[in-house]
Amino acid sequence: MQLFKTTSLISALLLAGLSHAAELRVLTHSSFAVAKPLLAQFEQQNGVKLNIIKAGDAGEMVNKLILTRANPIADVVYGIDNTMMGKAAAAGVLLPEPAERKPGQPQLPGATSIDYGYVTLNYDKAWFAKKQLPLPKTLDDLTRPAYKDLLVVENPATSSPGLAFLLSTISAMGETKAMAFWAKLRDNGVKVSKGWTEAYYTDFSRNGGARPIVVSYATSPAAEVFYSKEKLSTSPTANLLLPGAVFQQVEGAALVKGGQQAALARKFIAFLRSDAVQKDIPTSMWMYPVQPGIALDPVFQHAEKPAAHSTPDQQQIAANSAGWVGKWTRIVLKSGQ
Amino acid sequence: MSERGRRAGLALLPLAFLLLMSILPLLRLLQEGQGAVSADLFTDPYLQWRVLWSLLQAAASSVAALLIGLPVAWCLARYRFPGRSLSLRLLMLPFVMPTLVAAMGVLALFGPQGLLGVNLQDTPWLLLYGNLFFNLPLVIRAACEGLAQLPASRIAAARTLGATPWRVFWRVEWPAVRPWLLSALCLVFLYCFSGFGLALLLGGQRYATVEVEIYQLVSYELKLADAGALALLMLLVTGAIATLYAWLERRLAAPLKVDPVLPRRPQGMEWLQLAAALAMLLLFAGLPLLAVLWRALQALAVSGFSLLHDEEVLLALGNSARFSAMAVLLAALLGWLHALAARGSLWLRALAFLPFVVSPVCVAFGLLLLYPQWSASLPLLLASYALLAYPFVARSLAGALDSLPRHWPQAARSLGASPLRVFARVEWPLLRPAFRRGLAFAAATALGEFAVTLFLSRPEWLTLTTLIYQRLGRPGADNAASAMLLACLLMLLALLAFLIIEWPSAAERPLRKES
Repeated sequence: MQLFKTTSLISALLLAGLSHAAELRVLTHSSFAVAKPLLAQFEQQNGVKLNIIKAGDAGEMVNKLILTRANPIADVVYGIDNTMMGKAAAAGVLLPEPAERKPGQPQLPGATSIDYGYVTLNYDKAWFAKKQLPLPKTLDDLTRPAYKDLLVVENPATSSPGLAFLLSTISAMGETKAMAFWAKLRDNGVKVSKGWTEAYYTDFSRNGGARPIVVSYATSPAAEVFYSKEKLSTSPTANLLLPGAVFQQVEGAALVKGGQQAALARKFIAFLRSDAVQKDIPTSMWMYPVQPGIALDPVFQHAEKPAAHSTPDQQQIAANSAGWVGKWTRIVLKSGQ
Repeated sequence: MSERGRRAGLALLPLAFLLLMSILPLLRLLQEGQGAVSADLFTDPYLQWRVLWSLLQAAASSVAALLIGLPVAWCLARYRFPGRSLSLRLLMLPFVMPTLVAAMGVLALFGPQGLLGVNLQDTPWLLLYGNLFFNLPLVIRAACEGLAQLPASRIAAARTLGATPWRVFWRVEWPAVRPWLLSALCLVFLYCFSGFGLALLLGGQRYATVEVEIYQLVSYELKLADAGALALLMLLVTGAIATLYAWLERRLAAPLKVDPVLPRRPQGMEWLQLAAALAMLLLFAGLPLLAVLWRALQALAVSGFSLLHDEEVLLALGNSARFSAMAVLLAALLGWLHALAARGSLWLRALAFLPFVVSPVCVAFGLLLLYPQWSASLPLLLASYALLAYPFVARSLAGALDSLPRHWPQAARSLGASPLRVFARVEWPLLRPAFRRGLAFAAATALGEFAVTLFLSRPEWLTLTTLIYQRLGRPGADNAASAMLLACLLMLLALLAFLIIEWPSAAERPLRKES
């Protein structure tokens, strides 16, 4: 009897605890991977239950946010980046916050920046060594016969690295020249894949494909070493940092307009910028932390950090990206048939 | 309270379910699009090619499945050989394979650096081969059923009258098997035409289908009106075919046969025929599965089992099993009710196809618009699984109910058996194999349904399918290897579900009426 009383008391308390704990709905892209103990710690310290909701890649996530703006499905969103920010802002789905500005940190106007990285070309070292082909030195080299059928890119209409790469070429060359460049690339046999996974795991020669150059991230060579059984001493891939082929992607978090728990949502954003999470981000999501002075895992020595990049500003992206993607699709996909 | 009233009562739950989970979401999506269809939507040559290609690949797959399936089925039905009943049972294995596993298997065979040394990527053959992998078994099974319905005496009579085996085939067997084939071909066309996962994974940029285009329009471009218009166009075609199928299927309702043709030992050249038939079966239905196994073993040889020692894998395994079990229970309930209600009603029967013919992409986004507050809740996720899984139960049972001899229960009743006893002793034993088969398909659908990846997800709901995508979303050899191992695990899980549910006891006849 005593036992029964105790257990029922405990379960009542537990139930009460559960129902009273506030709930914070966090919308993220599918690559979200902050360590579980860190999330549990946040829940404990703030008496909140985190509801992480994954909504596909960054593009899909923003579209789902826009579709449900009348009845928001989340209180705070993480993973929105500078390619999508303008679209989200124009649709009015975010609550603009005065961001904490620290000089030298990549910014994401309209949201709070959390991490950043670079979309660029990776190449298969073994392939180039075996063929004894010199590496291309400029983007235009990729349109020469020597480099025919060597490149795979992601479709900018369905992939955020694909869009980022297109944007960097436009930023570097201007729209007209960039589109002419893409037409030449098409004639030189560029392969277009649906998304990063398809490009990297079925087309890239490192993973059984036929193409030794792929649009990926500047941290990918480090990840190749990190996720290798025999702990490689050098990466099988490396960055090909051609001028005009590096895009700086800044990811951030923001409050969702019409969401609840604004105070907790702000705390969560601050938590994402805390030292513990910032230290976890590099090897869990393969992005660089925005906070200065965070020591990186030694594996990052295998990833050459780009010194320069060509990235259009957010307003430019917001105003033109749909038109650019439409033009690109007509030139590369539709007229190629 | 007439028969009609009873039927309406039974139909209430499944119809309400279809309304809430399929029709209303589609309408909601159309409403959101506000009819603002792009002026050049249907004149755009790019899109015209998509529509044309969708039709073409579905038609080509159906024809190929017929040409390959019929001879194979004839050999399986007429020749007795060691392992025959095993082959007949394993025949349905491809059909229960998750789309992702099948696509990985096809790519492992015919991708760049595939095991067979032929690269079919960026050609239409990859998708056609994938279509055949899934659909050839359907045609073979239907033809076997049709051939089994033919009385041995009729063939014997034709032979006695001096007809050659070839003539017997054309004049006696072909007319009997034709309606069965036609109904199976309707199904094949339907699956290939409205296919999403396979076309997305194998079609590449050029050979993707309309459904992939719809996905792109909704998910990335937010052109809901255009997507809705395309979805309605698709629905027009698929709806017509589904109705035709339901009509054909009802006509096929046949009483239990009396003297089926017994398979005999092949002689001389006939062994060659049989070997060729089995080789075709292996080529189209077996190789992709063996390729997945081979690649997984390779991954295992390099990395060992340590890749699977991981709390995420355990979580995913548990969730996959749990979600499938729950979805199967729900599908069983809805399937029974729908099948009972559809007895004798053509339109209810055709409606069981609704979840297959309404664009899954539109439904996924429609549900998000319709029930935003529940969009990340487990009940809605399970309901989506059940939506895609229950038609298998309903269809399988509806077929079995049709071929139930009506006078047997009557006889039992007049001998004094209570209705419950009639059900338990007469109807249930006759329906059980079809019910089991329906459940096997439902379980496999729930385990590996591709369209479910369109829904919102929670880290704690990690399933094997989502985990494979997660691993393939990062660079590194370990991630690629563990994705292969997980695909193999998913294949084994589907096999297990198939064996538990479908493996009939010795007392049950192996071949019962099925799509």
